[in-house]
Amino acid sequence: MNTFEQLNSIFCRVFDDNDIRIMPDLTANDIDGWDSLSHINLVVAIEKHFKIKFKNSEIIKWKNVGQMYDSIKAQVGE
Amino acid sequence: MQKLKIQNNQFNIGHICTKQQCEEGRGDKVAMRWINATLEKKDYTFNDLESESNRFANVLQKLGFGKGDIFFTFLPKAPEQFFAFLGTLKLQAIAGTLFSNFGEDSLLDRLGDSGARGIITKKSLYKKLSRIREKLPALKCIILTDIEEHLSDDVLSYQLLMSEVSEKFNVAITSPDTPSVLHYTSGSTGKPKGVQHLHRSILLQSYTSENIMQLNENEIFWCTADQGWVTGTSYGIIGPWSLGVTQIHFGGAYDAEVWMNLLEEEQVSIWYSAPTALRMLMREEASVFQKHHLDKLKHIFSVGEPLNPEIIHWSQQLLKKDIYDTWFQTETGSIMISNRPGINIKPGSMAKPLDIIEAAIISDKGEILGNKLSGNLCLKAGWDSMFSMYLNNEEVYNKKFKNGYYYSGDLAYRDDEGYYWFLGRNDDVINTAGHLISPFEIESALLELPEIAESGVIGAQDDVLFEKVVAYVRLHKNVIWNDDLEMKIRLYLSNKLSSIATPQQIIIVDEVPKNKSGKIMRRVLKAWYEGKDPGDISTLDV
Repeated sequence: MNTFEQLNSIFCRVFDDNDIRIMPDLTANDIDGWDSLSHINLVVAIEKHFKIKFKNSEIIKWKNVGQMYDSIKAQVGE
Repeated sequence: MQKLKIQNNQFNIGHICTKQQCEEGRGDKVAMRWINATLEKKDYTFNDLESESNRFANVLQKLGFGKGDIFFTFLPKAPEQFFAFLGTLKLQAIAGTLFSNFGEDSLLDRLGDSGARGIITKKSLYKKLSRIREKLPALKCIILTDIEEHLSDDVLSYQLLMSEVSEKFNVAITSPDTPSVLHYTSGSTGKPKGVQHLHRSILLQSYTSENIMQLNENEIFWCTADQGWVTGTSYGIIGPWSLGVTQIHFGGAYDAEVWMNLLEEEQVSIWYSAPTALRMLMREEASVFQKHHLDKLKHIFSVGEPLNPEIIHWSQQLLKKDIYDTWFQTETGSIMISNRPGINIKPGSMAKPLDIIEAAIISDKGEILGNKLSGNLCLKAGWDSMFSMYLNNEEVYNKKFKNGYYYSGDLAYRDDEGYYWFLGRNDDVINTAGHLISPFEIESALLELPEIAESGVIGAQDDVLFEKVVAYVRLHKNVIWNDDLEMKIRLYLSNKLSSIATPQQIIIVDEVPKNKSGKIMRRVLKAWYEGKDPGDISTLDV
């Protein structure tokens, strides 16, 4: 699985929905249950899965999945 | 002063919020400006609310629902939620609402206990329901808002059902004592309790909307609360529409820039939000606020948790507005004690009871206490929006009342000027981001995981959430604590209960303190967390 596919599987796990198919322009408004608290779960799950750490300043700038993916890529590659 | 007039003994909330408004000449007035997550707008007049809720009442009637049947909404903010809620009430069925982030255990507890016969939801949320459907024998039909054709005999398309029925519906005269709205609330022990209200609650919801929040038909009102909670129904539906007020409803997530744009562009004049949201706004750059002209905004009100003085000072400086803290509970149905325009704000205080509410501070022994003495915050029973029962739980309901007073579970004191000051809870219920969470529910869910031997859950002070959920956990022998297990626990709780019930912190311990009868001693956990002396631990079973 490439990084984007791995990210998709994390979304499925966090939001308990195997039908989720993420896209770069996807936002919190597009997924039921993606609120500020489940966002914490998502960030922690990504950090643990990829063994990386995000800076707070980085996290608050994300406006969509594409920007989140860019942050991951910057640390782990494609 | 009460503007709402009951006509022909018709107390039906659905009727008053729609048809009565039309009869009073507001049929063409915008009742709801719906703004979806991508900021597309659609206006619904009171005529629209009337016809759509009539259709929904006809749908339910055609499906065999009637007076007293329980029907739930389980939707994120959406127009269909409002039509379904009002239509259910028009039929004199009981309208329950569920927070759209609930996981399957939370749903099962509520739908199972209430014996709900029907529910409206959407495809993505239906997945959670389908996993527990077999355990809900009373649930006869599920209506989905986003399918065009029926999926089966009992999983039905909202659009199709609504297209087949009349927009006329004759609402039977509804007595004030008819059950109306059902919300579930958490206690420190046991499962969540179904808080039942009556149609007469509209009297006080309307009165407080008018006299506390200063709503009248010239105002534009935005209540950010989700309809899954009491604020979302009492003040996101009933109170404002009983007065013919135009409401903004926004289907998107929190975003400071979007929220400020909405306040400005929609010319919101009265705004009702929560301290957690306001604290999140406080963390934004000042420029986010300085570029917006909020000159139409007259008042900001807040509910859910005590409003810390820093927020009031921040708002006075940046928004040039006071924020008025209001206090009520699911059980009270409407605001009981409140700051409001016209009385001096003492930052951090709940301020004063409504002029028609008698509050008191009462000791554990039942003595009514004087000023400056802390005790149980109580209300003289009998107000119009007082809950009529805990569904299937008369014993616990009766325990909430002593000598004619309702015991709120909050501790407070009153100062010499009659202002009330919140001190905390007298039980272990956790207030996180304005939502009451039962530690018992989280502890029980934790024990469902095979790795966990014992658990104890507390609320700890948090700068944004007011209280955060902290779980103390003892693992079974040979289980190793690692990142994967932590993640497993977090996601399990988030998906089984809800994101709000997920611990912000999990602490592994060798033993969870319990007394000799096996009760988890949460006060000891709290003391551990705060680095304080746990006090008398002579009954500790160690």
